[in-house]
Amino acid sequence: MAFLLRGSALALPVLLACMSLPASAQQATSKLDEVLKRGQLIMGTGSTNAPWHFKSADDKLQGFDIDMGRIVAKALFGDPDKIQFVNQSSDARIPNITTNKVDITCQFMTVTGTRAQQIAFTIPYYREGVGLMLKAGGKYADYAALKAAGKAIKISVLQNVYAEAMVKAALPDAAVDQYDSVDLIYQALESGRADAVATDQSSIAWYMTQRPGRYKDAGYGWNPQTYACGVKRGDQDWLNFVNTALHEAMTGVEFDFYAKSFKTWFGKDLPPPKIGFPVEFK
Amino acid sequence: MFDLQSFLNELWIARWAVLFGLGTTVAISALAIVFGSIVGTLVGLALTYGGRFLRLAVRAYTDFVRGTPVLVLVLASYYVMSTVGINLTPFQAGVLALAVFCSSHVGEIVRGALQAIPKGQMEAAKAIGLTFRQTFLWVLLPQALRQILPTWVNTAAEMVKASTLLSVIGVSELLLRTQEIISRNFLSLEFYFFAGALYFVINFGIELFGKYVERKTAVAGQG
Repeated sequence: MAFLLRGSALALPVLLACMSLPASAQQATSKLDEVLKRGQLIMGTGSTNAPWHFKSADDKLQGFDIDMGRIVAKALFGDPDKIQFVNQSSDARIPNITTNKVDITCQFMTVTGTRAQQIAFTIPYYREGVGLMLKAGGKYADYAALKAAGKAIKISVLQNVYAEAMVKAALPDAAVDQYDSVDLIYQALESGRADAVATDQSSIAWYMTQRPGRYKDAGYGWNPQTYACGVKRGDQDWLNFVNTALHEAMTGVEFDFYAKSFKTWFGKDLPPPKIGFPVEFK
Repeated sequence: MFDLQSFLNELWIARWAVLFGLGTTVAISALAIVFGSIVGTLVGLALTYGGRFLRLAVRAYTDFVRGTPVLVLVLASYYVMSTVGINLTPFQAGVLALAVFCSSHVGEIVRGALQAIPKGQMEAAKAIGLTFRQTFLWVLLPQALRQILPTWVNTAAEMVKASTLLSVIGVSELLLRTQEIISRNFLSLEFYFFAGALYFVINFGIELFGKYVERKTAVAGQG
């Protein structure tokens, strides 16, 4: 009998999962009330990507995504530490939102049309793009010099189906060397096997922040991608709240919090938003 | 290229993360192997001596589980269970998925071992008036154990390796901890090698344990 129970216990949920639950089920109260009542925010994020979400030497989660969560927690409770992180892989970002495992996910999630059909995206908090990193004081000074060099240059890039096409979009004649881990693309530049590294601008900014003076950004970005947090669809109150919290962090009362985080992880000082007429409507 | 000094330095900084990861991996694997072996033994018994209906049901269970990738089982026990109101933590969901997977394999191993025991053993046990329970514990199991052990060691090692899949649902096991460390210091080759060595040590321990039990259950003169 115990065996029978085991078998059916497995089969039943599988059946239920096949019947998609009606999306129209109206929530009686908003997630906002639920979170306020609980007293802490539950945010889904990863732990293996600097400078977005990664562990410090004393094993604490840190990074730009983490700070975005703290901004929302501060708006909710006046305390950026009233937040609990759920460690999730990139594949789990959307499922953990739709199955209510998390209130919100901030995990360098690129906004796409397909994803926007499954979850609700907040306003963006960062624009990612590909950039080129050079050795400071090296043979090539900037993007123009790299482009002028044509076939003579070699670019190191993380192995990827689109890697070659991605580099050629900016440097059509350059030779592309693909490496299968992040440390190797930087090593290639350091050892002179490559003239520049092509990777996410955020990664370049973080790498340069840790090694001031050794490298420089070539000053060209392409392949734009918008990063935004995600929440469950159909809860406009909650979405509005998170949007307000993020918006005010980029333009209003919490600007210093956002700017400090931006400086920590990307090494750049942000000019404060212009006072007077709201920047949003310019 | 390999800088021992900086590796050891980073390893010292990350010592607690590595230890916690190792502990989680060992705990998950041990729980999955223990539960999986208990349930698996029952599965094996049901497959060999169960009535027709029970056999059919258990056969469906083992075939379904063995024919499903572990990753699917892991995702199912974390996500699908929550849709029916059973909210497991990632750790619990991971143990459940691995234990279920383990039980189906152990079940088949036990079935094979029991079926390899000559019929006369069972008949002799019946003839001297042993109950089924006594027959199993005193006559069948000691003989079956010798058949089971080598393949059981294999399955147990498989569980340890399958535990790496639990990082998908956010269990901070050894591999995820290693990736966290690498994302901070970029020493990928060094730390992956180190993690590989730790997995080897765990599995080697299981093998030694299996060998030890094999020696204990060996019949003198049969090597």
